[in-house]
Amino acid sequence: MTITYVLMQNLRRNRLRTALTAIAFALPMAVFVSAISFVAMFVRIAQANEKELRLGVHHRTTLTNYLPDGLRRKIEGLDPQRTRLSAVCGMRWFGGRVPETPNALTSLAADADTFPIVYSELDLTPEDTALWQRDKRAAIVGMGPAETYHWKVGQRVVLESTVPPYLSLDFNIIKISDNEMRTNFFYFRRDYLEDSLKEVNADGARCNIFWIKCQSAEAMRSLQEEIDRMTANTPDETKTEDENAFVANFTQALGDIPGLMQVMAAVVVFIIALVAGNTMMMSFRERTRELAVFKAIGFQAPRVFSIIMAESVMLATIGSLLGVVPTATFLLFFPITMFRFGPISRIEVSPLAVVVSLTIALLVGLLAGVWPAYQAMRLRTVDALRRVA
Amino acid sequence: MGAAAIELTDVRKVYRKNRIEIPVLEGLDLRIESGTFVVLMGPSGSGKSTLLHLIGGLDQPTSGRVRVGDYHLEEMTERELTTWRSRHVGFIFQMYHLVPVLTAAQNVELPLLLFRMSAAERRERVRTALSVVGLEDRMDHRPNQLSGGQEQRVAIARAIVTDPEVILADEPTGDLDAQTSEGILNLLNLLNTDFGKTILMVTHDPKAAAHGQRTLHLDKGVLERDTMHAPRAAAAASVN
Repeated sequence: MTITYVLMQNLRRNRLRTALTAIAFALPMAVFVSAISFVAMFVRIAQANEKELRLGVHHRTTLTNYLPDGLRRKIEGLDPQRTRLSAVCGMRWFGGRVPETPNALTSLAADADTFPIVYSELDLTPEDTALWQRDKRAAIVGMGPAETYHWKVGQRVVLESTVPPYLSLDFNIIKISDNEMRTNFFYFRRDYLEDSLKEVNADGARCNIFWIKCQSAEAMRSLQEEIDRMTANTPDETKTEDENAFVANFTQALGDIPGLMQVMAAVVVFIIALVAGNTMMMSFRERTRELAVFKAIGFQAPRVFSIIMAESVMLATIGSLLGVVPTATFLLFFPITMFRFGPISRIEVSPLAVVVSLTIALLVGLLAGVWPAYQAMRLRTVDALRRVA
Repeated sequence: MGAAAIELTDVRKVYRKNRIEIPVLEGLDLRIESGTFVVLMGPSGSGKSTLLHLIGGLDQPTSGRVRVGDYHLEEMTERELTTWRSRHVGFIFQMYHLVPVLTAAQNVELPLLLFRMSAAERRERVRTALSVVGLEDRMDHRPNQLSGGQEQRVAIARAIVTDPEVILADEPTGDLDAQTSEGILNLLNLLNTDFGKTILMVTHDPKAAAHGQRTLHLDKGVLERDTMHAPRAAAAASVN
């Protein structure tokens, strides 16, 4: 017999309570690991975005306000030698949805000539680029909508716009991108949209945003200032920001979901710490005499402290594993692909999220155990035995 | 007179509660020879358990000296006392205080976890201790599968498994019926006569007291009466 065996047996003392406490750990930890994965996905996207050196230029008032098509030439004019910027790509929100479905896709019409340069991370092959340039109805889609609607390359699909004048356009899917950082999109050519708008006498030649592919971080900073200075005090005053700031603003317009997720995760941790602390305190109170006997027969106070701490950590770890491992396994084999939030179209539990969750569980276990363990360590054997007599 | 296993000199113990001093033992002098079975009697609050705790190193005197074997307990730190207890004293409590999720053998083995000892040696010691108390065939039973008397026997086996010189029993038969009590007391007699253990037992029961060789009557913290009597022949009786 070892002390570890005694600890394990102690957890069997009140099986129902151990099971309930483990579940009280498992369920919040499942939520926690999902929330952390969601936030981690944002962080990964932000890190990927940073590498792309892209600036977004949109109307200062709001993203829904259009900017004139000609702004692209003005921006390009700031760097005629192309020493700071590589390309400028105008984009217009289409807000298309598959007929008979409720949710609009992140569908954007992009300048055909510069799109492959500005979105180089989509890894368009020369053949893809040639096809994109040749076919006015060409569409490049991410894995999210492709998996959701079971689309294949070469398929002809129809999207109905959810914004006036509610066009219904058909597209040829020329590429399904497997870029993990950019999964939830549907890009097509802006000239196709503008021509279609002209056919119904709607206003054309406008953009919601211009994306600028820069050549360095320094170039990003200087262009950001120059563009906003150039448009200052005009009807088309702009706000230029890097992609991360743009994504953050965009998602926060829907509510600070990542922030809320983090708060939720913190609340979850706090609640399970209370639950575990309460359980450990009850367990300690029930065993006061027994612990007094342990001390009477020669167990040193620090050893009694470590027994309670070890029990608490063991319980926290078991509960957390019950929550984290099934969640991670489930999401590994069945990622949530129907999910739509900003650039994210799927949630997978990252190994980092698992490590963070288990580390936090360990800390919660330590936190929950520290007070009862301290009480046990300080317990005066004589007082505890006298309470019995 | 044999060698003194336990010697108390002018021992005072005062508890403080809400700034009020409660004297429990008042200048107690006591000498107990090695290998004797001493019974402590007296009304509640007379200081019996306190005396037992002082001799067992569970508490320190307010003043005076407590010597057990070669150790002056009043000079020892908490840590030293804990280590000393694990090697030199065995405790038996009224309510047994066995760990409910461990078997009889595992409960007995518990104090041995503090010793550097092979698993085989531990098993052997546990088997011997349980055979002394007549429970070799109940090794794998958990406390809830044992009777009160059997639980107390397991507690006694736990107290003797480290082979201590002194056994301190605080009302060991207080929760048992007369017949079972007799068995437990006979077992204590056996440990005293056959294994030479020095035993101090607190009891309220005069019949139980008859098993000792000496009875100390405490009242209001002072030794009121010290009676020597012939040991019962019970040690020879069956421990079952």
